[in-house]
Amino acid sequence: MTVRRVAVTGLGVLSPIGNDPSTFFANLMAGKSGIKRMETDFVDSLDCKIAAYINDYEPLDHFVKNKAATMDRVTQFAVSASQQAINDAGLNLETEDLERFGVYLGTGMGGAASIEEGYVRLYKEQARRLKPFTVLMAMNNAASAQVALDFGITGPDLTFCTACSSSSVAIGEAVRQIRHGYTDVMLAGGSEALLTFGTIKAWEALRTLADEDETDPSASCKPFSGNRSGLVLGEGAGMIVLEDMDRAIARGAKIYAEVIGYGSSNDSSHITQPSVEGQARAMRKALAEAKITADQLDYINAHGTGTKLNDITETNAIKQVCGNKIPVSSSKSMHGHLMGAAGAVEFVACMMAIQEQALPPTAHLVVPDPECDLDYVPNIGRKNVKVDTIMSNSFAFGGTSGVLIAKKVG
Amino acid sequence: MLDTFETLRDIIATKFDKPLEEITPDATFESLEIDSLDTFDIIFDAEEKFGIKVPNDEVDIKTVSDVVALLDRLRAAQGK
Repeated sequence: MTVRRVAVTGLGVLSPIGNDPSTFFANLMAGKSGIKRMETDFVDSLDCKIAAYINDYEPLDHFVKNKAATMDRVTQFAVSASQQAINDAGLNLETEDLERFGVYLGTGMGGAASIEEGYVRLYKEQARRLKPFTVLMAMNNAASAQVALDFGITGPDLTFCTACSSSSVAIGEAVRQIRHGYTDVMLAGGSEALLTFGTIKAWEALRTLADEDETDPSASCKPFSGNRSGLVLGEGAGMIVLEDMDRAIARGAKIYAEVIGYGSSNDSSHITQPSVEGQARAMRKALAEAKITADQLDYINAHGTGTKLNDITETNAIKQVCGNKIPVSSSKSMHGHLMGAAGAVEFVACMMAIQEQALPPTAHLVVPDPECDLDYVPNIGRKNVKVDTIMSNSFAFGGTSGVLIAKKVG
Repeated sequence: MLDTFETLRDIIATKFDKPLEEITPDATFESLEIDSLDTFDIIFDAEEKFGIKVPNDEVDIKTVSDVVALLDRLRAAQGK
């Protein structure tokens, strides 16, 4: 079997700190956080009133009214981010062989808002009926299905559901579709829109959410910092265009990087508690596939949720596999934890890091934790540094890890 | 008493951003670019508006007047 090389040729992102890759990355470099107090009718009933939400996305700018009404927010995000990525890649869908084009999309909770709306109507409002579109908006594969429908994509269309690693796994598996010759182009990434009352209460019960910072709510997520208190839920989407390298070069496409390694594994130890061995295993697999040694990495985008358990486990796993010299940062300190979209959005950050030759910081890292002793790029991003090879880590409840390695081309 | 056609027309216009003059009794849902699931969504909205119960029977609906006839029949039968 011919093994092909895979290029990243298009980026799309919707995030709490910007709805295009340039704005998103500029805010990361500036250490600007999108975490804020929620402004919803249920905020008074929440113990945790902060989230990283998007307040400048208007569905009617992207879809006609009746269509928007039949799409959950998670699907709207997925389609809009896909459109960005397609535009950025300069793809002309009129001339594409759409049978050789696929969609791999990750999401943790799919149409969470549609499920919740249905339950509210049934249980609270005692409605006799639900909207005819309820199932079609709530189902986990609605987002990837709508992306395929809207762009006429007739190749493989799969949804990956591995909680917080969903979209890293989606990207890694999509790379293999092209690498092994099943497709030539893939839209890959993830989308998440789970900031509903019921979902947030469920997360509160897990006791992993951050306390609101008393002086600055936007500084509530503090990965690797001694005063961390947990993760902050967020919403958004990241979609990228992956393409057969020869084809991308032949058509003169802008190539952000080549995806050279992907490692996936399961901790197989505990449903929530991460394991050093499991995380290290995924990193080793990705490095082996990339055929590089860890010292060739210029940057690691950490999973970096801001829970004590993750911070220490990931630090130890990185030390075991990569040593303690490579800069590591958690962009979640600014865009929050985008769950099923996290890996893809962070991979977009890595692509921009390569393009801009700059490293985004870990924001709000002010209290050293003796158990976290790597170079976390604290608080201030680094410009004019060599960023040719990156590794992006995603770990998850359920134990599924997805680690991606990409390298600048040329 | 609410006029069935006018009420239905308003539901369709609001939901689908259609000009009122396009929604004639003879207009087919296909010509209005409204698919079968959306048609049921409209009927369910009308059900709430008129306080009637629409049975889950198979109904053959092509035009706006088909829905008006269905709703009129149910309103008369259910005294709404």
